[in-house]
Amino acid sequence: MSTYGGDSWAREAHHRKRRVDDLMLSSSSSRDASSPSFKKLSNGKYACLVCPHNPILDTPLLLSVHNKGSRHIAAESRVRASELSKRNELHKRIALSDDSTGLSSSEILVRQGKSSGFHNKPLIQKTMKAILETKSNQMENPKFVVAGNKTDLGTRSSVCDSKYSPATDGIREPSGNVARESSNSNEKKLLMTAATNKMLADLHSEFSERREKELKFTSAGWKRDCHGKWYRDENVEFDSDEEDPNITLR
Amino acid sequence: MYLYSLTLQRPGGVVCATNGNFVGGKTQEIVVARGKTLDLLRPDESGKLQTLLSVEVFGAIRSLAQFRLTGSQKDYVVVGSDSGRLVILEYSRERNVFHKVHQETFGKSGCRRIVPGQFLAVDPKGRAAMVAACEKQKLVYVLNRDAAARLTISSPLEAHKSHTITYSVTGVDCGFDNPVFAAIELDYSEADIDPTGQAAADAQKHLTFYELDLGLNHVSRKWSEPVDNGANLLVTVPGGGDGPSGVLVCAENFVIYKNQGHPDVRAVIPRRADLPAERGVLVVSAATHRQKSMFFFLLQTEYGDIFRVTLEHEGDRVTELKIKYFDTIPVTSSMSVLKTGFLFAASEFGNHALYQFQAIGEAEDVEASSATLMETEEGFQPVFFQPRGLKNLVRIDQVESLMPIMDMRVMNLFEEETPQVFTLCGRGPRSSLRILRPGLAINEMAVSQLPGTPSAVWTVKKNVNDEFDAYIVVSFVNATLVLSIGETIEEVSDSGFLDTTPSLSVSLLGDDSLMQVHPNGIRHIREDGRINEWKTPGKKTIVKVGLNRLQVVIALSGGELIYFEMDMTGQLMEVEKHEMPGDVACLDIAPVPEGRHRSRFLAVGSYDNTIRILSLDPDDCMQILSVQSVSSPPESLLLLEVQASTGGEDGADHPASVFLNAGLQNGVLFRTVVDMVTGQLSDTRSRFLGLRAPKLFSATVRGRQAMLCLSSRPWLGYIHQGHFLLTPLSYETLEYAASFSSDQCAEGVVAVAGEALRIFTIERLGETFNETVVPLRPRAFTAEEREAARKECLEAAKMGENGNANNGQQMENGGGAGDDEDDALSDEQYGYPKAESDKWVSCIRVLDPRTGNTTCLLELQENEAAFSLCTVNFHDKEYGTLLAVGTAKGLQFWPKRSLAAGFIHIYRFVEEGKSLELVHKTQVEGVPLTLCQFQGRLLAGIGSVLRLYDLGKRRLLRKCENKLFPNTIVSMHTYRDRIYVGDIQESFHYCKYRRDENQLYIFADDSVPRWLTASHHIDFDTMAGADKFGNIYFVRLPQDLSDEIEEDPTGGKIKWEQGKLNGAPNKMEEIVQFHVGDVVTCLQKASLIPGGGECVIYGTVMGSLGALLPFNSREDVDFFSHLEMHMRQEHPPLCGRDHMAFRSAYFPVKDVIDGDLCEQFPTLPPDLQRKIADELDRTPGEILKKLEDVRNKII
Repeated sequence: MSTYGGDSWAREAHHRKRRVDDLMLSSSSSRDASSPSFKKLSNGKYACLVCPHNPILDTPLLLSVHNKGSRHIAAESRVRASELSKRNELHKRIALSDDSTGLSSSEILVRQGKSSGFHNKPLIQKTMKAILETKSNQMENPKFVVAGNKTDLGTRSSVCDSKYSPATDGIREPSGNVARESSNSNEKKLLMTAATNKMLADLHSEFSERREKELKFTSAGWKRDCHGKWYRDENVEFDSDEEDPNITLR
Repeated sequence: MYLYSLTLQRPGGVVCATNGNFVGGKTQEIVVARGKTLDLLRPDESGKLQTLLSVEVFGAIRSLAQFRLTGSQKDYVVVGSDSGRLVILEYSRERNVFHKVHQETFGKSGCRRIVPGQFLAVDPKGRAAMVAACEKQKLVYVLNRDAAARLTISSPLEAHKSHTITYSVTGVDCGFDNPVFAAIELDYSEADIDPTGQAAADAQKHLTFYELDLGLNHVSRKWSEPVDNGANLLVTVPGGGDGPSGVLVCAENFVIYKNQGHPDVRAVIPRRADLPAERGVLVVSAATHRQKSMFFFLLQTEYGDIFRVTLEHEGDRVTELKIKYFDTIPVTSSMSVLKTGFLFAASEFGNHALYQFQAIGEAEDVEASSATLMETEEGFQPVFFQPRGLKNLVRIDQVESLMPIMDMRVMNLFEEETPQVFTLCGRGPRSSLRILRPGLAINEMAVSQLPGTPSAVWTVKKNVNDEFDAYIVVSFVNATLVLSIGETIEEVSDSGFLDTTPSLSVSLLGDDSLMQVHPNGIRHIREDGRINEWKTPGKKTIVKVGLNRLQVVIALSGGELIYFEMDMTGQLMEVEKHEMPGDVACLDIAPVPEGRHRSRFLAVGSYDNTIRILSLDPDDCMQILSVQSVSSPPESLLLLEVQASTGGEDGADHPASVFLNAGLQNGVLFRTVVDMVTGQLSDTRSRFLGLRAPKLFSATVRGRQAMLCLSSRPWLGYIHQGHFLLTPLSYETLEYAASFSSDQCAEGVVAVAGEALRIFTIERLGETFNETVVPLRPRAFTAEEREAARKECLEAAKMGENGNANNGQQMENGGGAGDDEDDALSDEQYGYPKAESDKWVSCIRVLDPRTGNTTCLLELQENEAAFSLCTVNFHDKEYGTLLAVGTAKGLQFWPKRSLAAGFIHIYRFVEEGKSLELVHKTQVEGVPLTLCQFQGRLLAGIGSVLRLYDLGKRRLLRKCENKLFPNTIVSMHTYRDRIYVGDIQESFHYCKYRRDENQLYIFADDSVPRWLTASHHIDFDTMAGADKFGNIYFVRLPQDLSDEIEEDPTGGKIKWEQGKLNGAPNKMEEIVQFHVGDVVTCLQKASLIPGGGECVIYGTVMGSLGALLPFNSREDVDFFSHLEMHMRQEHPPLCGRDHMAFRSAYFPVKDVIDGDLCEQFPTLPPDLQRKIADELDRTPGEILKKLEDVRNKII
């Protein structure tokens, strides 16, 4: 009846091994009781919860054999990996939500850039950094100038006021002039920076407008040769009265 | 992403059908297989087909047969499916289920060419069954009975013959001799090895008889004889004393009687006079009618004509075969003649019909007979006939079928609360646009205007034993109107009701007295006309009333409750008073239980957001039994008693229980179970019904208690096949309703809305959708254009710029018209006249879906057919929205795919979008199978080329193209600068258009070659698709790849990166995979309930609609996957296919939970339900609630 035949000790050894497997099984399930890797069904069979298709196994022996199988091990490691990554993600998010208030926007941006997987792409990272820097300069410089002037102006006028306000009219007059003058000069500076800003913005918008126009022509099938002259792509069809960029963009 | 799959509308098409007596008794039933569901139908007394049972089998049913053991009273069903098993089913009347009597495994699963299951034949005496494959294999099972009269089945006997193709199999009726089966076979062994092709050309079909020797328990080939090579169908001829035995062989143009040792008797099948000479006539379905003294056959041809075939015989010798034209009905896949005088015609496409026999066509003038067969040099002389209107049959019922759904859109064009599903269904002359609305259909019987705005309506009987209601009482702000119900409905004044005051309630009290409750008192009208009045004390008025047949509770202003009971003498006696803490919002008393004097429970709702259950027992009268707090003040209460049921034809086992329903002011219906003894409340469920507080009324549906809820639309709560269903009615907003019963309508509802009184009945219970059909009728006749080899129907909806949102554009390519304008025969029934196979007709139709009127119809001329259309808005062009239509001219599929030319037509909308005007027409080199707007230009998929067009003055201007697609582009979706292209054989390709280079790049594709039939855009990185093998799948570009592509600043990477083996550099991942088991033809993302989450809706060839709902909590996913796992274990599918194997038929199922399997949980026996629930650590009630909840999220 058994492959081991008659009264051989091997049969008993075999049984013992099975029993050990049985016990191992229950101990392995108790090891991490929070998420057991299998489930005992009502009909006494076992369902593996780790493998994605939940195979049903008839006996604990089969389950233990299954658990040693490469597919199961692969599935288990996948489950572990996904759990780990989930936990990491969670930690990351918690950390981010905790101290995001203390971070400047650029830092967050950099961080985001990093987190989205560019840490191994130094070129893209560099480009992004450069863009961020120029952007933050653009944003902060005029502000800084304005703020500096304002503090300057405020202290001066307050000095004037505290010093000279209770004094005679004659002195008060020039002091007022000084104050006005200084404020005027400041305003001028302010205006000038505003004007340059505006000019820059105009320039920028002009540039982007021109860029948009050029894009329109390229997408309509025009191409440029090495002299910057526009010519028609031979694979593209054009209307009879189509605009010529060589004329429009001059 | 995890999805929950649920079938919303069961498939409508019928694959095969068989009739018999499955229930037992004298009735006749029909078993129909609709692909993966098995239905049991029965015509009721009024001639309506009722579905007794519908069960999903999770496998493809390929053949059905019915047999009866001799001396038995009941038939069994044999099912041949793709499970590799033969299953014998018995219908159990007690539990309303099919029982699996035997399940015999014989081979591999799936629909393979040598796996049996395609053909089934049973011995007419029920002694053996043969199951055959298309090729080689035939297995015979011997059926017998054991000592306890139970059915037994033997192990299979093989009758295999390799290298033979089987065309048809049937059992031969040879009385009680050894069972014989006949088959049409073709031996291809020689043709296979002959390289010259001579043997293939000479291949000959044979009719072979297989005999099962019951003594030797062995099957042998008994007889084989050549038959016409056009033979396709066998029909059994009665034998064994009832007839000559043998078979009818239906071949192209002929019907031949054949039997062993008998000369052939041949007759020609009559042809329609207008049929082109090169077309043959084939029989597609057959039915046999047998009586004691006579028998005849009904054979239907592929054009829909039914012929009655009779045999003249003397003993076993057949002398003449007569064929007589019987009638013409739409082409069927199966016909069943019932002994009760009905013909069930399961249509190949479109609605099925039930006909009643008026006559059996016994007149002597036959069209064709074997006696008059004429043979000349050219062959046999054809015989002609003229089709006519129905003479022998009369149609008495229709079963709706959407098969095949060609296209679908979910839109809210009518600005209703829920969107409508617009489907293009059917084929050829029977094609239609069907507008589906979630909810039950109603049949409006009467609408009558009233002299004011009524506030309430009731119906009352004069006596408790009356069958019908006597009065309709309508209450106005300051008056009450009494209408008596008779032949007509008219106002009466002698009813005894006080008509100068509004009423709060009117009802029958006791056995035969009437009661009217008005704000100042109760008026009790005794049967003899005496009137008792009870006046309210002081200045108080009655605000609310709750009553049943013997008990009345009124609530006075200020919160005082007064309880009256009817005593033995018929007097209404005050029993008890009770002071409530505040004003009463609503109250209700449960109906008096059978055999009791009073109901025990009173439910009172207060404005402090509570509902109290009070006792009405004399010992603890007006004691509070339980309190339930709710989210908003209750507006209306209804205690609904559900009687105990122990199965039967309509319902599963469930004990009697009382449900407390409350309509809350925030529009939620709150439902809870009341303990019959203690009055405790448990198992609460709530559902949002609409913007108005639901008012609840009791009604009767199929003799059972049901509930009407009137919110911003009406709903009906009822029990159907053991489930409690809460379904909206497709009707306008109602104010107040009452059940209504008269001799014209037994179970109706009378309701008030606005200034009108409406009477209606509710139809087709148990359905999810109701449909409005707009037939796309064929147009007028033109001589050249005829016939269509194929039909393509597309629809696009246009939201016009001028607010004219009600136009759907229809394109129909359906075929020519009737022969003659004055011919009265409808094409729907008789089909189009046939022409050569490479002729096309097609039109473009603008339809107003509200009225169903065609506002514009453009015919395409010269063998041109439309294949695609879209609306397009060209940027900086003056036309506004235009319609682009892709057409092909002279397209041929056989012997080689070829076409004369392809075109893209551009139309302009005129007359506010009602009509079309051609702008221009551009010739292209292939068929434009798909068109799409992209960045103010037109994208076209022409063969394997993706091309971008701009609008020119005279034609479309080609601006950019990509020729690197593998086969044929069949679908396109765009989002931002991405284009999602679907290839006919190779799934999706993601493209990007770069304006600065004027180039289209393919940057990602799928690694699995999928034969795409439908696609839909889900999000920036994700597409949903369906393939022709019946799978739905989602593919997604991994997030890091997507980021990389989007953030590539130079664009150089896309340009220079190359994939391997001509593929794209990046590959998408498959994130969802599910086998539907039916070819999905359309997919759309939509939400069918107001404020509900979006799900993917799909339509299939078999005419079913389904939904895939994404789960939003991990907990639900765990719960449902465990439930699914247990259901697979405990409730294996009926036809023997393993559920997991079915859902993974082509690719392993991934992240989709089968809701159809989970929803079979309530049909399990209670102990099994409890067992599964224990495994899940829940109660069966909780599982049912979960199932209900998830269904309510979809529809």
